[in-house]
Amino acid sequence: MNENRRQILELLAAGKITASEAEQLLAALEPDSTVSAHTFTSAVSGSNGSHDSTAKIHAKYLRVLVEADETMTGMKGPTTVNVRVPMQLLRAGVRLASLIPPQAHDQLDEALNRHGVPLTLSQIKPENLEELIDHLEDLTVDVDGKAGNQTKVRVFCE
Amino acid sequence: MTPSIAIVRIETPHWRCIPLWIPLFLLWIPAMILSPIIFLVLIGLSIAGRVKPWRALSLLWDLLCSLPGTNVRVTSEGTHVSVRIL
Repeated sequence: MNENRRQILELLAAGKITASEAEQLLAALEPDSTVSAHTFTSAVSGSNGSHDSTAKIHAKYLRVLVEADETMTGMKGPTTVNVRVPMQLLRAGVRLASLIPPQAHDQLDEALNRHGVPLTLSQIKPENLEELIDHLEDLTVDVDGKAGNQTKVRVFCE
Repeated sequence: MTPSIAIVRIETPHWRCIPLWIPLFLLWIPAMILSPIIFLVLIGLSIAGRVKPWRALSLLWDLLCSLPGTNVRVTSEGTHVSVRIL
């Protein structure tokens, strides 16, 4: 635990600040999370859409935002899901997937094929997966629903 | 760094819960006490899965250490649930 975080927790324990104040302070300590996808894509792409590696921001989080309207969910009012996953967690998850025993690969391949994902897990090496995660940093996916359906999905890194 | 605190916040249109600060670092106490058992179970599972135990332990540790920063917020029907791991 770093010194700043410890001080905030001590202030909270001493009752000098409220829980919500401590939460705000801890949030302020976190790496800049205000960089939007637009800022990010603007930084990595020039005005003509060309890739500018000199301005590239090293992404720390994968964000998934979902906004679904009533017609999609059947619930009252809009439903929103906002998930922020550290890239480090993705890397750890990918490495954890390498623990899948070889004898399970065939079954997984078969199941993936059955669901329309023609993938052979045994051909994916850890170095490929690392590369895949690295390239996620350049990913921005925007999906808008058809007219009358206000569902939106955004996947981007920040 | 392992996760130290989880903040859970639940708000409904009729009821608002104060943020629950769950001190995850306190889990180290039972974890340390039960460490021999946990260690043996992990070794057993690794052998059963034909995976090197140290590699499995290392990967699980990596996974645990990468959890801080995770943030999940869901809003539906006026109910707001937020989970943050610090």
